[in-house]
Amino acid sequence: MKIKTSKPSLVDPDMTPMIDIVFQLIAFFMIVTNFEQTQADERVKLPEDELAQPPIAPREQELYINVGFERDKDGNIIDPTPYVFSKEGAKTAQAYASELQMEARVAKTKKIEPSTITVVIRADSETPTGIVQELMKLAMDNGFSTFALKAKAKALDQ
Amino acid sequence: MKLRHKGDATKIEAQMAPMIDIVFQLLIFFMLTLKILAPEGDFNINMPIGQAQADDESDMQLDIKVRLLASPDGTLKQVALGTRQLGNDERVFDRLNSEIITIVGRPGAGENEVEVEIDADYGLHYGNVIQAISACTGKIDPITKKPVRYVEKIKFAKPRPPGDAQ
Repeated sequence: MKIKTSKPSLVDPDMTPMIDIVFQLIAFFMIVTNFEQTQADERVKLPEDELAQPPIAPREQELYINVGFERDKDGNIIDPTPYVFSKEGAKTAQAYASELQMEARVAKTKKIEPSTITVVIRADSETPTGIVQELMKLAMDNGFSTFALKAKAKALDQ
Repeated sequence: MKLRHKGDATKIEAQMAPMIDIVFQLLIFFMLTLKILAPEGDFNINMPIGQAQADDESDMQLDIKVRLLASPDGTLKQVALGTRQLGNDERVFDRLNSEIITIVGRPGAGENEVEVEIDADYGLHYGNVIQAISACTGKIDPITKKPVRYVEKIKFAKPRPPGDAQ
């Protein structure tokens, strides 16, 4: 093997393989990062179901309602009162009515009929059903009429 | 095409350091913002809630009423399909599913004509309602492992007042 001796120069490490790997990692993280689910609240522990399938076509207009409990780091419920988690903080279902009213008003100013907006309810599996029904009723009072109940897609037993 | 001449063999090194800086920054950003979430699915609900349907429509449709009773702690106490009590063990939703199939007939046949009304107690844990909705809408085909849906229309009855468990 001939080693260059005539011109002693700095040894340049070959960066190509590293850049290849790093670009692959970036591509991977870009693909798996899901910016769509940013409206989901982590405190909500959704029920699981095998039949819960993501919608085939994405909906044009959605309004997310996250209902759940305040939990500690281990996931234990601290406060037994269910809250609606919105941008303005945790509110009771009744107190959330004003926000629904505002959402409907905002939609109307944008010339969007509230009935065309799908209200997506993400409720904790331990939430009393009555709270979910109350929220639906409040939404309907404000002109919303399309609803979807979220559940975590359960892996099928093979 | 010959680019290099032996005479002036000066290798132009591209400056890699700034690019690697940026690339690593991007990598760290994506790694930190990554949230591994289980895919979420949803069930569509037919509205209006608890309102009687138009007469001409209700004559055509075969309504199924599923009643879910709750214990004081919010767990499932009883599932009833119409007047039939189905129990509250872990297989109750499978039984409900079989009953619904019996009523609807062969999966896929006339799926748009049947409407299921879920009437749950106020305090019942929502997870049970999702299980009931799932049992009413369809099942996983044991051979193809694909979901088969036979009821598309699910609606809720009027919310019951808290503490009412009749």
